[in-house]
Amino acid sequence: MDTPTFLLLLKGAGVSLLLALAAIACGTLLATALAALAFSRLALVRTFYRLYIYLIRGTPLLVLALLIFYALPALDLRTGPYLAGALVLTLYVGALFAEVFRGAVLAIPRPQWESARSLGLPPLAMLRKVIGPLVVRYALPPYVNVCVMTVKASSVLSIISVWELTFAAREIIERTLAVFTVLGIAAGIYFVICFGLDRVGRRVEHHLMLKGFVGEHV
Amino acid sequence: MSYARWFTIYGPSYLNALGWTALTAVLASLGAVVWGCVLLLFRLAGGPWGARGVDAYMQAFRNTPVLLPIYLIYFGFPLIGLPWPAVICGGLALVLQNGAYVSEILRGSFKAIDRVQFDAAKSIGLSPWHTFRKITLPQVLVYSIPSLGNQVVLLLKDTSLLSAITVTELTMQAKLLTEQTGAAYEAFMVVAILYLILVSGTEVLFRVAHRAVRWR
Repeated sequence: MDTPTFLLLLKGAGVSLLLALAAIACGTLLATALAALAFSRLALVRTFYRLYIYLIRGTPLLVLALLIFYALPALDLRTGPYLAGALVLTLYVGALFAEVFRGAVLAIPRPQWESARSLGLPPLAMLRKVIGPLVVRYALPPYVNVCVMTVKASSVLSIISVWELTFAAREIIERTLAVFTVLGIAAGIYFVICFGLDRVGRRVEHHLMLKGFVGEHV
Repeated sequence: MSYARWFTIYGPSYLNALGWTALTAVLASLGAVVWGCVLLLFRLAGGPWGARGVDAYMQAFRNTPVLLPIYLIYFGFPLIGLPWPAVICGGLALVLQNGAYVSEILRGSFKAIDRVQFDAAKSIGLSPWHTFRKITLPQVLVYSIPSLGNQVVLLLKDTSLLSAITVTELTMQAKLLTEQTGAAYEAFMVVAILYLILVSGTEVLFRVAHRAVRWR
């Protein structure tokens, strides 16, 4: 393996990482809005939430990607595969993050709500001082898992011709036939990114740990 | 062309592809469960190095996308003199990847077994292998049914990736029909609905299985 090939893979890794980070950032925003719908008073809104989760989780990412990839030109939006790829990844991980947030809110022990209310905290202060910090701590471990999953899922976008790490690897293989070396290095790069994310997540988790809090695992 | 008409013309052509998707998913799931059990056995009986080896294997597969082992086997095996058909290559990759997750699920369930049972097994003179086969494995598998259901759903969805290595399963069929008829939206909508049905069916199946064996 020569240096230019390796640099090409690294460039692909950069694109993968960028795509994943964009999807994580936008997906988190989307998920916050979605998770709020899950706790709506209106049954119709809650049904919409459940339908969204069901549809996204019930179809493979690749099929969603192809649908959006083909549908976007049909809707006359001139976009390249990158925007379509980032969009589908966002919609996909948005659903996963939303389920993480919903689970975290449900995990908050009831006395926390009750005591916050009985202290007479206004709703916004309650959210900021009591519920928010707890949600962050409950959500963090599964959130990091989904982040890792996002990086891995971004590889699927190579099939809709998004040029990222997996696409670059396949391109190089077709040219050089060095299957084991190229895929080995690509796997190594993915491993470093994902394992690194996991470790950083654990560090933050440890950092946020609440001493003396009696809720489970937090 | 209206959607209904499109479907009456091209709908039947999905049947073959549906069969391939279902077949790969079922066989790969069975393979993954068996491989997961073998990995669990390595972890439990392999000493410190067995546990370390299984850990390394699991981390390797957990932190890399499935597409890489799929490509590795499909493009790599012919180079070492194993020109296997694409379905087998893809299926093997799915087994290797999902087996890693299954072994983790089984390990979680293993922790739920009361230690007293192993003392009891020893005191009635069961060999370690018999203890694993008759005591550990059945309980571990039963406890794991809900999580295994999730994993099988993930595997089922991942079979769509085999379209990248020319397996004519559902996603590939939709791609072919798109090229043939130009109706991409219709072609992929049908596939999405079929996946939704397959996924829901799998979930129901595992829920029924879970209920059926819960109290034994």
